[in-house]
Amino acid sequence: MDAPDIHVRSAGTALPGPAVDNATLTERFGMPSAWEQWIDAFVGTRRRHFAVDLDSGEIRHTLADLGETAGRRALEAAGIGPEDVDVVVMGTSSPDLLMPATVNVIADRLNIDGVPSYQLQSGCTGAMQALDVACQMLRSGTRRTALVLGGETCAKHFDVTMDVSSLAPAEQINGVLFGDGAGAVVLSTEPGPGSAVLRHVFVELVGRGRQPGQVVEWFGRADRNADRPPVVEDYKAIETSVPLLAAEAYEELLAVLDWKNDEVEYLLPPQLSGRMTARITEGLSAPQAQEVSLVADIGNTGNALPFFQIEAALPRMAAGDRAAAVAVESSKWIKAAFALEKP
Amino acid sequence: MNTTEDFIALLRDAMGLPVAEEDIGRTLDEVDGWDSVHLLSLLTLLEQRTGRTLPFAQVLEAATLRDIYALAVAA
Repeated sequence: MDAPDIHVRSAGTALPGPAVDNATLTERFGMPSAWEQWIDAFVGTRRRHFAVDLDSGEIRHTLADLGETAGRRALEAAGIGPEDVDVVVMGTSSPDLLMPATVNVIADRLNIDGVPSYQLQSGCTGAMQALDVACQMLRSGTRRTALVLGGETCAKHFDVTMDVSSLAPAEQINGVLFGDGAGAVVLSTEPGPGSAVLRHVFVELVGRGRQPGQVVEWFGRADRNADRPPVVEDYKAIETSVPLLAAEAYEELLAVLDWKNDEVEYLLPPQLSGRMTARITEGLSAPQAQEVSLVADIGNTGNALPFFQIEAALPRMAAGDRAAAVAVESSKWIKAAFALEKP
Repeated sequence: MNTTEDFIALLRDAMGLPVAEEDIGRTLDEVDGWDSVHLLSLLTLLEQRTGRTLPFAQVLEAATLRDIYALAVAA
């Protein structure tokens, strides 16, 4: 028996709080006006949402809150109840706790139980990793429906009392690059109204011998006062390597599917920042494609972003339309891609 | 900040760039390690020290360190 087609039945997303623009961040942290202008010119991300309230520092939303909302929206959009979910997979780089895994808290709140659940410790390719795991589980033939989630919260890193001007510039930039949010899709072995076929997913680690491009620490009792910075990015390595790896992943995806570059109607490129995504997209040959990018308006929400892109693309795709999505994780370097096609 | 010496000292001491006074005429591409993040640091420092905002569009067109200095003292 051939493995069944896997259908993306629906998508759902969640963003916390109001959109925070660059002017608001500049004013809130007492930064000079040149800072805002530099962010506009070199980062190109206009808005993002935070789980933490910028005025009080109160954490208003956990990752479980965001994932629950996104998951519920995806299930409702697919018309699928919790009892019909056969497997749950989630990717995140920023779980609420190391244990219990956030995926299981979300499953509990959605009334999903008695099924396998997996949480992947993942970065910007986490959506592809989660889709891949879910897809393999469904293709094995005994399960029909998967809820796949991805999300981030940077509340742990966002100290509203900090003197931003005292931070290294690279750390200042982290504060405007990233945003919080969660997304979800329902995968099924059965098609539904408006669903698209997940034609191919691949994830490829390319980190052998490479220094990490991003490091996120976690601390416990013994090292909780460590003076290591919690988040470090090698933005020069990211600027150099991500466009190249994205182009490789894109061409590999098309080659596997035997799709030509001008047969892609929707391009879902890596979502680093407004400017970086524009640069990366220039290197992806898709002459007929409409680009589906949201990073400039929601910030880099890591594991969540491909779900936002799917949510935006799915209703726009007409019968026969093809979409190609690419992501690159710069921590230990992973390239990944997936393709959708409307039957 | 009133002189090119002050400006070079800012680049060297506050930003850690390996520059000396004779480098003031160098284009930004020629400044070892220069990138857009240094521009962010420099603009922030200049605005903090002078209390004035540099004209950003003109800063983006600055070719040399001297061009940025000229904008900083004229602002």
